[in-house]
Amino acid sequence: MSDETLEVRIAVYLIPDLARDDFTALAGLAEAKTISAEGIVLVVKDADGELHVDETADHLGRKGVALGGGVGLVVGLFAPPLLAATAVGAALGGVTARFARKRIESGIGEKLDESLPPNSAGIIAIYDHSSSDLVAKTLANTIRTSTAEIDKASAKELKAGLEEAGASLAG
Amino acid sequence: MSDVTIDRSTLPIRRPPFSGVTAKTLAGSSPDWNQASKVKPPADAPNVLVVLIDDAGFGNPSTFGGPINTPNYSRVADEGLRYNRFHVTAVCSPTRAALLTGRNQHRVGFGLVAEFSGPFPGYNATIPRDCATLPRTLQENGYLTSCIGKWHLTPDDQQGASGPFNRWPTGLGFDYYYGFLGGEAGQYDPLITENQKIQGVPEGEDGKPYYFPDDMPVKAIDWLHRVRAEQPERPWFMYFSTGCSHAPHHVPAEWSDKYKGKFDEGWDVLREATLARQKELGVVPADTELSENDAFPKWDSLTETERRLYARQMETYAGYSENADWNVGRLLSAIEEMGELDSTVVIWIWGDNGASLEGTLSGTFNEMTTLNGIPLTTEQQMGLLFKHGGLEAWGGELMAPHYSSAWAWASNSPFNWGKQVASHLGGTRNPMVIRYPKEISDPGGLRSHFTHVIDIAPTVLELAGIPAPTHVDGIEQEPLHGFDFADSLSDASAPEKHTQQYFEAVGNRAMYKDGWWLAMRLPRIPWLLDPEALKKFGAGWEPDDDPAELYYLPDDFSQAHDLAAEHPEKVDELRKLFWEEAERNQVLPILGGLASFYGMVAPIPEVSTFTYRGRIENVAAGMIPRIYNHSYTISADLVIPEGGAEGAILAAFDHLGGFALYMLDGKLKHHYSMLGVFEYTQESEGALPTGDVNIEMVFAADEPKPATGGTVTLLVNGDAVGSGRMDHTVPGRFSGYAGMDIGCDNGLVVDRSYADKAPFRFTGEIKQVTFDIAPHLDAEAAQALHEHAQQTLAAHAASA
Repeated sequence: MSDETLEVRIAVYLIPDLARDDFTALAGLAEAKTISAEGIVLVVKDADGELHVDETADHLGRKGVALGGGVGLVVGLFAPPLLAATAVGAALGGVTARFARKRIESGIGEKLDESLPPNSAGIIAIYDHSSSDLVAKTLANTIRTSTAEIDKASAKELKAGLEEAGASLAG
Repeated sequence: MSDVTIDRSTLPIRRPPFSGVTAKTLAGSSPDWNQASKVKPPADAPNVLVVLIDDAGFGNPSTFGGPINTPNYSRVADEGLRYNRFHVTAVCSPTRAALLTGRNQHRVGFGLVAEFSGPFPGYNATIPRDCATLPRTLQENGYLTSCIGKWHLTPDDQQGASGPFNRWPTGLGFDYYYGFLGGEAGQYDPLITENQKIQGVPEGEDGKPYYFPDDMPVKAIDWLHRVRAEQPERPWFMYFSTGCSHAPHHVPAEWSDKYKGKFDEGWDVLREATLARQKELGVVPADTELSENDAFPKWDSLTETERRLYARQMETYAGYSENADWNVGRLLSAIEEMGELDSTVVIWIWGDNGASLEGTLSGTFNEMTTLNGIPLTTEQQMGLLFKHGGLEAWGGELMAPHYSSAWAWASNSPFNWGKQVASHLGGTRNPMVIRYPKEISDPGGLRSHFTHVIDIAPTVLELAGIPAPTHVDGIEQEPLHGFDFADSLSDASAPEKHTQQYFEAVGNRAMYKDGWWLAMRLPRIPWLLDPEALKKFGAGWEPDDDPAELYYLPDDFSQAHDLAAEHPEKVDELRKLFWEEAERNQVLPILGGLASFYGMVAPIPEVSTFTYRGRIENVAAGMIPRIYNHSYTISADLVIPEGGAEGAILAAFDHLGGFALYMLDGKLKHHYSMLGVFEYTQESEGALPTGDVNIEMVFAADEPKPATGGTVTLLVNGDAVGSGRMDHTVPGRFSGYAGMDIGCDNGLVVDRSYADKAPFRFTGEIKQVTFDIAPHLDAEAAQALHEHAQQTLAAHAASA
């Protein structure tokens, strides 16, 4: 794959705190620049069945509201209601990432909402394809992952990639 | 009748000779009131309560050092006795048959379970009339008798309105029965039978689902109150047989949550901790060792997700089991309140066999997947668990879960293996406690007599002062095989009477004599029952070539030291004795219950059309038309009112395996759940007509193979209105316990999309529903599929 290719990975978890462990580990790799990530999001469905964005990290591995350009890419995948209760949601208006600006109607939030049972979690990560093996190894606690490749420059392809990666979530 | 005049050796007891005088009129006549009286048991005959827990291990209850809190079991033990060398048969129905008849299980047709009525005397699942049951003997001697809970002694294909009812509880000596006839039940949605009618799934109360374990003592106490109001003096016999701890492991979170975190250290640590507690309690000798078994993974070899999942499985099982203890406690409290506890012999056996290994290493969200021979990897199981509600749903009503076989192994501590494995104590030795203050002189004591489930009947008869009958209904009776151990209640040093015993289940064999135990395990993984795994035991198999292990139990309580190499003469002696016992008790042919795996199958059923008229509901799983692996048509003649109709026309089983034909939102729909792994829905297009309407669902199988895919076509008045594919179908059995309904969907529904409308009763009129099963055009394929169906049934039977 060329350096112009990104990989979208969706990983789902039976146990939210194991997802948090993996998220932290992956964000650490981004921070250390061991991987080249566009953004990482941890989504948790709580015991009451409410889905929310639990944590985010940008291309530098910075968590939470310290948003860089990259995190907007993944945060922008979610409709505002999913983000409304989070600090990330409040900050979203300021995101300048190119994908977020295009207001991708990814549907991935709805897809995750359908697929995750209560007390479970998912991670969505977008990163350079060259980091694929290391990302896969880092997300060690997932019970199922799916991936898709997209062109770095195309928001349209991102949507298709998410659809592709999300298609097997419920299977 | 006074005792003096009663000959109890022949049942029913004959009326005594008339000792009065009859003249032409009452003048000059003198009465004999014994003529009109009822049969009375011997004076001071006690009440008897036999409690049997299902699929549980020696190392489960805290009373025997296990991790599961069982205060009521401990109370009975502390006020009575613990028996730590009590044995069962290693499988459900066989233990029950042996318990209730006092004979070895093969001799009464129960070498395997009731789901499979096989072609050999030891495996026909039919208690013969020359082996009358204990409850029948007690009933004929004046006892009031009842059975509450799991039965599992009626053949699978005889659990309907057509009987024959002499194979149901009320036909085998019980005045009253409330429970489920099969080997297992959804604890939230059991198909309840009361006496001779399947009543269906009871409704829950206060917005909560119905929960069978909590209802059992209610029904038991209700029966006691009713009969006591009418018969203050007659003793009663109650067989209280829990569905717990058999899969599906269903229990409300309030019970399983008590164990959160208790099993995080895993099964290896649990085994060691259990053994340590057992030594502290003195229920095992101080030098007892744990045996090793590399069939089970080490806990520290698992991923963190696996460890969390498996810990949750055991938390649920533990909560489920504690709930059973609590419910028996409710029953005991009621008996105490009635003032009858001290005049009741309480015999409480914790497990009809060792804990069940049938969940496979990973455990399963739906035990029917493994019983249908559908292999699922740990990753697939996790994915399906995810789909069906995640970890929090384990134990809830939307799954039919079974824990990892490694937990079963730990549950059977300090012994090896588990259910089905009759060659080892993990399958055959279970805790028993007995409370009867009148006889027990050292409450809280321990008894280590070799005892066996066939000993219960003679012991109860001894305590009741009733002889085993020589004739019942004119038929000479097979003598009881068991030995009464009543004298051990009062005398810890009473001689041991039961000195030798054979064991056999699913080919696993053992011979015990005078402390020596020869173990001959069928060399296979116990939870694998498929043609590939079993083929090596067909032609050319010589059982005596199987590995044999020899243990001397007085020195080796847990079978940790194999002495076979040191004592070959003892191996030969016990092996020879086993074959003698096997022949005498109809054990032969070994694997007789699995004959279908070796080309011996029942004739192909000739009837292929089944018509249901009127309100037929709650058809048991073994009684539905055998649509598996065939093309078939379901046709319904309906009257649809103006404005349309909605509701289930036909619904079989539930969302974890089943099919439904229904109308909703003006459409005809067919939904099929392939054991919760795959789900398919087809629906009609365009408006449905009203008035007299014929609808059909035609399934055209792709090929005559197990689990074949195929195409569904929906027709209305002969016109195709919808279609779709089903790539996988259920090859052998949809459900272990749910039922089929015409005109509604009782219990848990097939398609969760209409769950909020349950029971989703059809609002039009159903004149009739007809199943028409198409024969296979190729006779060879027909025979092959029939064999497969028989094998699946047998495999299910072995695991039930």
